[in-house]
Amino acid sequence: MTERFKAMLRGDVERLSVWLAAADPRSLISSALMIVAGSALYGFTIGIWRAPLQSLYTAVKFPLLIFLTCAGNGLVNGMLAQLLGSGLSFKQTTFAILMSFAIAAMILGAFSPITLFIWYNAPPLGSKNASAGHSVMLLTHVFVIAFAGVMANRRLLNLLKKISGHERTAHAVLFSWLAGNLFLGAQLAWNLRPFIGHPSLTVQFLRDHPLQGNFYEAVWYAFRNLFL
Amino acid sequence: MPNATPPPLPPQRPVLFPFEPMPPGYSTAGVVESLLKHPGRVIYELQNNWRAGLSATLLIFALLGLAAYGLVVGSFSGGAQMWIAPAKICLGSLLAILICLPSLYIFTCLAGVETRVRTMVGILFAAVALSALLLIGFAPVAWIFSQATDSVAFMGALHLLLWAIAISFGLRLISATSRLLSGRVGGHMTLWNLIFILVCLQMMTTLRPIVGRSDRFLPGEKKFFLAHWFETIDKATGPQIKAPTRD
Repeated sequence: MTERFKAMLRGDVERLSVWLAAADPRSLISSALMIVAGSALYGFTIGIWRAPLQSLYTAVKFPLLIFLTCAGNGLVNGMLAQLLGSGLSFKQTTFAILMSFAIAAMILGAFSPITLFIWYNAPPLGSKNASAGHSVMLLTHVFVIAFAGVMANRRLLNLLKKISGHERTAHAVLFSWLAGNLFLGAQLAWNLRPFIGHPSLTVQFLRDHPLQGNFYEAVWYAFRNLFL
Repeated sequence: MPNATPPPLPPQRPVLFPFEPMPPGYSTAGVVESLLKHPGRVIYELQNNWRAGLSATLLIFALLGLAAYGLVVGSFSGGAQMWIAPAKICLGSLLAILICLPSLYIFTCLAGVETRVRTMVGILFAAVALSALLLIGFAPVAWIFSQATDSVAFMGALHLLLWAIAISFGLRLISATSRLLSGRVGGHMTLWNLIFILVCLQMMTTLRPIVGRSDRFLPGEKKFFLAHWFETIDKATGPQIKAPTRD
């Protein structure tokens, strides 16, 4: 598993393409374990600003969000991969996407001591500088998650280029997967909220009526209130 | 003239990080010499001939060097700061190393380097040891200024400047590791260096005061380092302050 871990981070496309072609269940299990370990650790540091209980809830929900997104889009991602000519099967598509989430999760896990240190230094909830502390935490998490996502997708793109043998096909497949995962992922994150937790609301695993409401409608209403 | 001898070429600039083994049977003095003159040798040994003794030597050297510089820092305020400043500097450095080590290994892998955790641990110890060596070199300069001023803000800024110079040489070792071990030059290690610097800067604020005095070992209020700096500068330059003070 250590060799797999290092090869994924290094972006060793020769090895990764061999594992992907084999689609060995061990690859699936090791990617799943890396996702759980890395994203749970990082999720803990997201929720801890609000309350220790919130940190436990977020540690559970972050990996859940990733798995639900993969499961929800599994069929369509597999179909798109075939339609766009990548040569990947449904099983291989799932493995490739899980591999890229595993890379992101490992990067996030490695950043968790740093984000925990930032939380330790942030003015606590209820103090006069709490809003500045909240802003710093939020920006840090945005930067770290964006960085992890970019690195993971670069590795995935190189793997797709190797397997498909065609740069435009690789770009098309990656873009289609990203679009689908972001679209569904944003909505699932809305359903699974809160992750950070609002100071004026009680700490809950899920908000009341979690399936009610829509991320995109909420963004539209916020936009309308601000500008229209 | 057709048969004129071309002018001699200027001497080749020595390679800064020759990737070669250290001389056999090297001593502690040999490690120090390699850190200063041929840091690539230290990286070679940690990658190809790793021994716990070398990593331990580098860590001990780093802590002793930082403690020695801490004495100079503490000499500004005197009293209990003579032991508190070295203790905080060593503790802060160890904590910063622990906090940033997981991300160092990940960034090294992202940079395409094939190495082990223990090698990167040793290289980070070497980077901090090299910085500590430079700080020892700066210690007389810092001591002279600390006896010549009563301004905490001035001394804080001076120590920060000297630390910035020292750490830049230390972190050059980290950047060289990626180049030497993977043959590639990328932005990953530069980004990690920036993260390490930010963690160290915040650690200085978390463990304040290091230059000035306080009734408490650790501060009661949590603050980010920029907020702390701006407040310190405001206090030092505000109109109500007539003379700088050590407290």
